[in-house]
This record gives sequence, structure tokens and C-alpha cells, in this order.
Amino acid sequence: MHFKIFLLIKLFVLFLISPASALVIGSDEEEIYIDANFSGKNLLVFGAFYSDPSQARDDKSDILIEVVGPSEDVVIRKKESFFGFWLNSKSVGFNDVPGFYYLSSTNEITNEFLNKNNIGLLNKKDTQLIDWSALNIDWGNVKNQKEKGTFYDALIRTKESEDVYRKVNGEIQIIDGNLFRSYIEIPNTVPVGQYKVNLYLIIDNKISNEYSYNFMVTRVGIEEAIYSFSKNYPLIYGLISLLIAILIGLSGAEVFKRFRKV
Amino acid sequence: MSIYLPIAELSVNIILLLSIGGVVGFLSGMFGLGGGFLMTPILIFMGIPTNVAVATSANQIVASSISGTIGYWRQGLVDFKMGGVLLIGSFFGSILGVWIFSRLVVLGQIDTVISILYFALLTSIGLIMLIESSQVIRDRVRRKTVKRKIHYHNWAHKLPFKMKFYKSKLYISAIPPIIIGFVIGILSATMGIGGTFILIPAMIYFLGMPTSKVIGTSLFQIIFVTALVTLLHATTTFAVDAVLAFFLIIASVIGAQLGVLAANKLRGEEIRALLAIIVLGVAVKIALDLLVEPNEIFNITVIRALF
Repeated sequence: MHFKIFLLIKLFVLFLISPASALVIGSDEEEIYIDANFSGKNLLVFGAFYSDPSQARDDKSDILIEVVGPSEDVVIRKKESFFGFWLNSKSVGFNDVPGFYYLSSTNEITNEFLNKNNIGLLNKKDTQLIDWSALNIDWGNVKNQKEKGTFYDALIRTKESEDVYRKVNGEIQIIDGNLFRSYIEIPNTVPVGQYKVNLYLIIDNKISNEYSYNFMVTRVGIEEAIYSFSKNYPLIYGLISLLIAILIGLSGAEVFKRFRKV
Repeated sequence: MSIYLPIAELSVNIILLLSIGGVVGFLSGMFGLGGGFLMTPILIFMGIPTNVAVATSANQIVASSISGTIGYWRQGLVDFKMGGVLLIGSFFGSILGVWIFSRLVVLGQIDTVISILYFALLTSIGLIMLIESSQVIRDRVRRKTVKRKIHYHNWAHKLPFKMKFYKSKLYISAIPPIIIGFVIGILSATMGIGGTFILIPAMIYFLGMPTSKVIGTSLFQIIFVTALVTLLHATTTFAVDAVLAFFLIIASVIGAQLGVLAANKLRGEEIRALLAIIVLGVAVKIALDLLVEPNEIFNITVIRALF
């Protein structure tokens, strides 16, 4: 609660010092902790269009919120039928793709606008618009442009079905014409690491102002400890797993022997 | 009530997990099987990644084969020397198996290869069990007893490097047991099974071991093969899930003991026939998963996540 009050004060100070047309924002989270019981969370992003509170937002100004998660390398494999069996065949490696991507706007933003300003990954409706050169892709033996598009679509589709890629509009609430607020759903499937929030104030189809800040997603708890232990000390982890198996196996036989004698 | 599995990276219901461990343990105790051949595919059906299912099954089999071996060892039914010779082969077999496994993971073919191997294994196990149990039932109806030859000579006696196995009353070459151990090692590492189902007939028919010593000796060597496979997977594929293994082990050890009790009270053949049908059912499900066109023909694997 103190934190929120602090943010409101920060917001107020920003109102005073900012120029006339500014984008001022705040967020209620700087770090999100995911434990075994984490079932997703709503990240609050809020702010104001203008530093002058009496100035109200007009139809020409829009807010765009972009959240980009830590990057990862993925392989998309396509199954094909060989003599009736569905087997993985062609594969494409997409490197440095965001593990989480969220794009939200007050009004629908066109793909042309996003491309012109280098924003967005989710232009899947029109593969012509994808700027391949901006992505680090290992196409393998996929040569055909149309086929490349199907692999890219598959990447976006899979990530969308995992709820880690989303593109929405109209989810940003506008209060009193000048203040905005949005709850961004962070599902429990998100990767850990540093996330970047980019906010754009768009006036007359041009970016008038932008603001960025980072937050962290961290895994905590016993499960996380086991996970990192297994990666950092695999031999000791393996030996402990074995020891548990041996002890339970031995005691199982022992307990049962006594049980049988009774 | 569910629990998060840190390596499989998903939540599963604890009751479901314990039931699976218990039922597989019960069946293995009842029929003297390892149970891995049922555990691994069931874990995969639950949505647990193939590599985690295989590696964790191996870890679980360590516990169940220890419990089992102790029982046979107390009755003097373990041929440690034979077990040791088998292990020489298994040692190299499991190293090769884990290497093949990690290559298949990189190539993205692990799921398919595991499915095909399991389909072949389960179909043969199921059919053999079905035929055998129906013969026993038929013979019982006709009040016949089947006489079996205890000891016979075959090619295993003609090869070099002959060794004396006093416990099994054998004087045979060390090569056949090493080869058998090698094959079991590969299968154990790639499929997450102990390999009892292949080991026992191989020991009886290829090595000519007395039937009474076969189960104890195979269980004894399975402890070490699966222990080695667990360590190799933990260090190369990072796929051993200790939390999953813990719950499966607890349930399967209890289940196995109850299974042994039940085996003494129930007549085996009918249940064996039922198990054969379950095994064939699992095989059919695996085949369908391979043959039916999937809803999503693309699949994704995260190769590297940046932390």
C-alpha cells in the first residue's frame, strides 16, 4: 500500500515537472514472484496522457502498451505423414524470440503503423509485412516463401495458445479523459527473466512520446530450488535422487518383512 | 490437490500420481515384473515430457528392484556372479543408450522413436502373455501339467571365455550374458524400463539358467543398470524429476508389497490375461497417436531460455 502511495506521489511530481504534452506512467509491480501455487496475476499499468490534468484526451490520441519478455531460442517442427505415420520432418529455428509478448492499444492500430515504427511481432494476418531480416532465423531446408510463412504462423499460434503472446485492443480503461489504467494478465506459463514495458502516446498516427521501464519475473520456492540444483549440480542431484530411491526401496522391503511376520 | 513437478514443469494431481504408482507397483509385485514398461507410457499419456518420463521411470525402478531383490536374496535365489557379468554389458549398453537418446532429442525424433519402440514392446508382451495365460487356463481345464526341461546345451556353451557360475550350475561363455546385458542397457536408457520382460526369457532360453534363480538375478542387475541410467540422464539430459520419482516410488513400493500378497491368494492366469489386454490397449493407444493426423501439425521446443 505504501508503494502505491509512493507511486501516486511520483506521478504527481511528474505532472508538475513534465512538459505540456507528456506521457506519465506508473506500475504497481517491479518484481513478480512465481511459485508452485502461482496461477497467473494481473499486472497494473497506469498513467496519464497529459501533464495538465485539465486537458482531456481527444479521439486523435491513443495509448499503446507493449510488454516484451526475455528472449529464447525455439525450434518449430512440422509433422508429415510417412507411410501413414505422423513424424516430425522439417524444422525451423527461431532465435531470440520473446518468451512473452503483449500488445494493447486504446484503438485498433494498423500493421502499417506497427511496421513503420518497428513495433510488434504479431502481424500474422499478413505475412508480407514480416520483416524477416529483423529476426534471427535458421530456415534449415525450408526455402519456399509461403512455407516460411506457415512456420512463422505456427510459432505465433503456439505461443498464443500458451497465452504468452497476446494482441488486444480496447482493454485500456480511460478515466476522466486523461488518466488510463490497464490490467495485463501474466499467466503462470511465462518464462522468468527481465521484462520490458514500452508505452507509446500516439497522436495523429505519430509517436508523440514514449516511456519504458523494466520488471523482473522470478521463480521462487522449493520447486525452483530443485530445478536450479538439478541444472547446477547434476551429478549430486542424480546421486540424491538415487539415494532416495535406495532408501525407500530398502525400507519398503524391511517394513514389509515385519508386516508379513505378524 | 495438485503438486508442481519442477523438471517436468507442470502440475499434476497427487492422488492421480499415487494411484498410478500404486497400480503399476501392484501389478509388478503380483507378476514379478519391473513395471517400467507400463509406467513410462502412462506418464507420457499424462502429458509428462517423454524424456522426463523415461529418466524418472529408471529412477523409480531402482527402488522397486531393490525391494524385490532383497526378498529373493534372502531365499538365496540371486546369482551375483551372473548378475555381475550381465552388468559389464549393461554398463556399455546404457552409455550408448543415453547417447542415442540425447541425439534423438536434438533431432526432434525422440517422441516418435519411443512410441514405436513401446508399440513393438507392448504388442509382443501383450500377445505372449495372452497366449501363455490362455494355454495355462486350457491346460488346467484339461488337468494337464506341463513338463519342462531344466537344463539343456546350446550355442552358449560353445563360445570362448567360459566361466563357472556355481549358483546357476552353469559352465558357459561370458559373451552371451555380456551381449544380453548390453541390449538391456540400451533399452533401459532409451525406454526407461528395467527390461525384466526381455531379460528373463533370454536368461532361460539363451543362457539355460535355472528358472528359480532368474528373477532374483535379473532384479539384482536391474538395480545397477537403472541406477546408472538415472545418473547418466541426470547429468546429460537433465530429465530426472526427483519430485515425480518420490511420489511414484512411495506408491509403487507399497503397491508392489500388496501385489505380492495378492499373488499368493489369487489365481494368476485370469488376471494375467486381463493385464495382457490392458498392455495391448496401451499399445493400440500409442499406435493411434502415431497414425491419426494430429490437430496441430507444428510443435514447439524451447532450446535455450535466457535467464
